[in-house]
Amino acid sequence: MTDTVISTQGLTKVYPDVRAVDGLDLKVPRGAVYGFLGRNGAGKTTTIRTLLGLARASGGTAQVLGLDIRKDTVEILRRTGFVPETKQLFDSLTTDQLIRFNRGYFPKWSAALAERYINLFEIPRKRPFGKLSLGNRTKVCHLLALCQGADLLILDEPTSGLDPVMVDLLMRVLIEDYVSEGRTVFVSSHHLSEVERIADWIGIIEGGKLLLETRLEDIRQNFRMVTASGEVASDVVAPNLVSKRRAEQFHRYLVSHEADDFVTRLRSQGMTVLEVSPVNLGEVFLGLAGKELPCIAGNPGVTRASA
Amino acid sequence: MLLHVNTSSGVPVYLQIESQVKHVVAAGAVKEGDALPSVRKMAAELRVNPNTVARAYQNLERDGVIRTVQGGGTYVANGHPGLLKSEKLRRLRPLARQLAVESSQLRVSSEETIKLVEDEISQLGGRK
Repeated sequence: MTDTVISTQGLTKVYPDVRAVDGLDLKVPRGAVYGFLGRNGAGKTTTIRTLLGLARASGGTAQVLGLDIRKDTVEILRRTGFVPETKQLFDSLTTDQLIRFNRGYFPKWSAALAERYINLFEIPRKRPFGKLSLGNRTKVCHLLALCQGADLLILDEPTSGLDPVMVDLLMRVLIEDYVSEGRTVFVSSHHLSEVERIADWIGIIEGGKLLLETRLEDIRQNFRMVTASGEVASDVVAPNLVSKRRAEQFHRYLVSHEADDFVTRLRSQGMTVLEVSPVNLGEVFLGLAGKELPCIAGNPGVTRASA
Repeated sequence: MLLHVNTSSGVPVYLQIESQVKHVVAAGAVKEGDALPSVRKMAAELRVNPNTVARAYQNLERDGVIRTVQGGGTYVANGHPGLLKSEKLRRLRPLARQLAVESSQLRVSSEETIKLVEDEISQLGGRK
């Protein structure tokens, strides 16, 4: 047993029109709650489908639970609880029938857990899957993934269609029944506040490339937003500079470590440093994957009119 | 114990847990020997990663607020942080500085500021 549950080396998936996954190097430690974050179309779902052998990798290598994604798809799927983005199962089967169908494949299936989740999540048992609301379909997908006794859960947009009460319940179940047991959860999402609560590792993907992979704690301890004003003689470049923005004479720099050194540098260039503040996950995400707009100080029309 | 955390505040979650536990202990709402929820239970209650709670508990134990019995849970400790006086003062100084800056900005006299602190201490009521 290794201490890495998912690892990829230069994983690539090319479609005729797009490089959906482009040289990805992921490392997901055992027992982590890994938030896999990216905008729509960043390559999250394609990465997951490639890891599970549901799409064939165009290049690179990857191991899930120590198994080769090119050869061991069946074994990977047997040992991984998977909630797909599409939330699609057999439309004509009821929840009870889906449970009977699924449990045969998984020796560690827990009937007691299934009973518990049906009651907890208020899932209709006798209604065909195709007639369920999106929220209820999502719940059935979770139930099937959670009851199979897997060491790894891969959840692709796990909260789609769920109301806030159900999101809250799901988080509780994941922490109590999975994370506290030392099992690994790999969750792809763009709901940053949900991920920020339960994750301890995050990876940010954009255009099929990994922009950042780190412990969430590292962001809290080392990442800083530096706000400064003044004219920059030359464009500021530094190895720890993640992103920069400006609005008129104000500049905002996101730095990944050693913010003090960066501040000293700005000062030596004659800039006034107004604030150095810790950042949350949302600010890091926007700093990395956000779009630069010509004016970020509110509504440009209003700013111009009052100026 | 009813704690709450806010992930958008910018204050790390483990620090939020630490300060809230310190608060209920200082206010006398829980007493020496009272049991605290396990890491697992607290994490599930708060919907946060168990490592976050474990880290808060480790810091609280180091500060003498709680003690962990091997295999037997977590309890409120006797409250004598094993810290030197100089270290205690070093930790309080930034808070004092912040208070001083704010009260001078608001033109509140130093007597009134000290009175405020004394009121807060007496309201805690618990440990002296």
